[in-house]
Amino acid sequence: MRIKIRGISLANIMTPFVIIAAAMLITSALIMTTGANPLNAYYHLLTGVFSNIIDTINRTVPIAFTAFAVALGIKVGLFNIGLESQFLMGSLASAAAGAYITGLPSAMHVPLCLIVGMLSGMLYALPVTAMFVGKGANLLVLQLLFNSIGTLICTYFIAGPFAGENPAVAAMPRIQATAQQPNLINGPNKLSISILFVILVAFAIWFYLNKTTGGYQLRAVGDNADAARCAGINVKKYHFWVLLAGGGLAGFAGALDVTGNFYRMYGNYSPGYGFDGIPIAMLANGNPLGMVIGAIVFGALRVGSVNMQAKAGVSVEIVKVIQGVLIMLISAQHFVRFLVGKYIKNSERSGKA
Amino acid sequence: MDIAIKMSGISMRFPGVLANDNIDFNVRRAEVHALVGENGAGKSTLMNILYGLYIPTAGEIEIWGQKKVFHSVPDAMRAGIGMVHQHFMLIPHLTIADNIVLGEEPCKGNRYLRAEAVKQIEAVCNKYDMHIDPTALVSSVSLGVRQRVEIVKALYRKAEIIILDEPTAVLTPQEIDDLGRVLQKLKAMGKTIIIITHKMQEVMNFSDRITVLRRGRIVGTVSTDETNADEVTQMMVGRSVHLGGDRKAVSIGNAVLRVENLHYHDGRVQKIKDVSFDVYEGEVFGIAGIDNSGQKEISEVITGIIKADKGQIIFDGKNITDWQTEKIRHAGIGFIPQDRQKSGLALGMSVRENMILGYQNLPEYKERGFLLNQEAITKNIDNKIEQYDIRLSSPEAVTRTLSGGNQQKVVVAREIGHATRLILADQPSRGVDIGAIELIHKALIDARNEGKAVLLISLELDEVMLLSDRIGVLHSGKLMGILDAKEATREQIGLMMAGGGVEHAY
Repeated sequence: MRIKIRGISLANIMTPFVIIAAAMLITSALIMTTGANPLNAYYHLLTGVFSNIIDTINRTVPIAFTAFAVALGIKVGLFNIGLESQFLMGSLASAAAGAYITGLPSAMHVPLCLIVGMLSGMLYALPVTAMFVGKGANLLVLQLLFNSIGTLICTYFIAGPFAGENPAVAAMPRIQATAQQPNLINGPNKLSISILFVILVAFAIWFYLNKTTGGYQLRAVGDNADAARCAGINVKKYHFWVLLAGGGLAGFAGALDVTGNFYRMYGNYSPGYGFDGIPIAMLANGNPLGMVIGAIVFGALRVGSVNMQAKAGVSVEIVKVIQGVLIMLISAQHFVRFLVGKYIKNSERSGKA
Repeated sequence: MDIAIKMSGISMRFPGVLANDNIDFNVRRAEVHALVGENGAGKSTLMNILYGLYIPTAGEIEIWGQKKVFHSVPDAMRAGIGMVHQHFMLIPHLTIADNIVLGEEPCKGNRYLRAEAVKQIEAVCNKYDMHIDPTALVSSVSLGVRQRVEIVKALYRKAEIIILDEPTAVLTPQEIDDLGRVLQKLKAMGKTIIIITHKMQEVMNFSDRITVLRRGRIVGTVSTDETNADEVTQMMVGRSVHLGGDRKAVSIGNAVLRVENLHYHDGRVQKIKDVSFDVYEGEVFGIAGIDNSGQKEISEVITGIIKADKGQIIFDGKNITDWQTEKIRHAGIGFIPQDRQKSGLALGMSVRENMILGYQNLPEYKERGFLLNQEAITKNIDNKIEQYDIRLSSPEAVTRTLSGGNQQKVVVAREIGHATRLILADQPSRGVDIGAIELIHKALIDARNEGKAVLLISLELDEVMLLSDRIGVLHSGKLMGILDAKEATREQIGLMMAGGGVEHAY
């Protein structure tokens, strides 16, 4: 008898945790080769997180949004890796709208910046999407190329037309006070309202996918495009709108980050948020709650690693190693699930005996 | 030695399945032995063990009285076993001779002696009275000839025992008769033949003895002279089976579907050539033809998945040629596609959700215009599980976990349940066991009895003849003629399937 919790087998629930634990173990071995003590490193990683929970939440926001965008892609059967540049485009446009538009009340300026960010993310996703959906061009290649192009366009604007007051620093001017989000918690560690949008969008995506006819059709396209076509569903329409929505979500995340966190756009703005979403969406299997949790974990890793570097002498880059190992294990997750299922079965058997 | 093959105590365990359970299987020298059973009964597994593809979990194999252990296909070939697969293993762009000798070419040093190969093959053909042209390209000959090429290939490799897996699936009735003659000749020359099949007619016509498998076990071995088709079917299924549903006399009503002068091409291939036919209320219109004669294209044009080059589709008096698929389905046309896994089901979604696929936008499954009406969707499946005897753990079960027959029942239940006017069934019983076929036949005939129109496309001529009121015969995209099912004979239809003329069109 297989143990099931609300229709999901225990093996399925256990798998993400086993994957994370395995990634930690493999990383520990790497930390040891550098001469450091992995337990000590993890300890400082954790204390770093808990001494700075607000920062962790701020980091969670963009990661969660890109995870949502990747998840929608997975559900419709596409692998979306173009989010990095769409995130940057959203940040750039909303930073510009925040800095150069003056005289608006805050109640209008903040929403304007968010909408501008979202639309520019969508706009930047449009050419790739049109080429893919219209003519069947290779999506992954286009998105990779457009990531480079987008990053360089941002660099150009930050150094050139939008350059800020200090020419020595590659940064845009600070956005107007009216474009800054209201805060839930004030102080040196401020918590903006961005996290509320994460919760709202997570719920909206769950609702759309599971409760609406449109979400049903989207999932059918992702599960079997051929059968969806036979059922009269317009496959291209769903591919088109999911990729555009991905651009919108990434652009919106950039706008949230600018108006709620840094108040300006600077060079090398994204530490790779566009790619963080990929392992999270895959690990959570597109479940919005799982993605929020995953985004918190990834955000915490980024925050805690700074403390770990300072106290334990382990480079922050080790976080990227953990992520790399995670992606590798996720790619092999059917194998992990098989092992976990086998272990559960064996322990049940020995439990009975 | 009188016994060619003796397999004793063969068991084969795959993860979670016991495919063969302690099987004893004997084949005599120079007999045609039919191995029959439903899908999943274990016949292919048993033959793959004999052919060295699988190593059995337990059991022994003796060939001509000598114990053998096969670790690979070459091992089995060396012991004189040849196999003709259902899907031929030929390279279309090479000649027949090249294909036959491939891997065992007559050589002088490194040089391939093509003329020598042709000579050797002609010798084999003459010996067994089979006529093929070794210099022709495989791509230029019919499927029946390709099958003969496969048989010659086995003979060239000195096979004494030849296994044929579903040999008639792709043949016209005339080609099936030819195959029968070839088998008799081989038998007369002392070869031992095993045919794996589920078609009763060939079992009875071709074989000397029959071994029946059910759920991995031997049910029994009988002499063909001492049994009949019903008895063998009963052994296969474990109960008596009634195919063809219960036809009631129904008065033929109006034309539901009119297909007029349809043309369609895919690349350079003309797939549909000027096809016209009507389907009336209360009739089953069957379309016979060998595989790839344009059946798939006709069904996809009618359902709007692909668009015709020329011609019209008239449904209930309305021209639907340019309609979108969804509109066509909502108008009352149900479509059972030929490949359920490729086109009929989203296997990763639940059975409950699959049960409305294609109909999710009907008002009854919607709430406030954009929400799924969960209650209606649950009610929809609850009715159909019972009516169509779909075996599943729960309506929320992932569709992939169902057996092939139950998956097909999901598609059939969905399409017949939602089709108010016309059911387009493209090979509705493909690859499902006989119990499911019985149920699907009954469902189609019941729909006809209720006055719906049924357009049945099938590669199984028996099925077309059993279910249809009128039969249209396709040959490479052309409709060769339309016959009254009561008067049509197998021979007549077979001739038309192969491209021959028809004396009196209906």
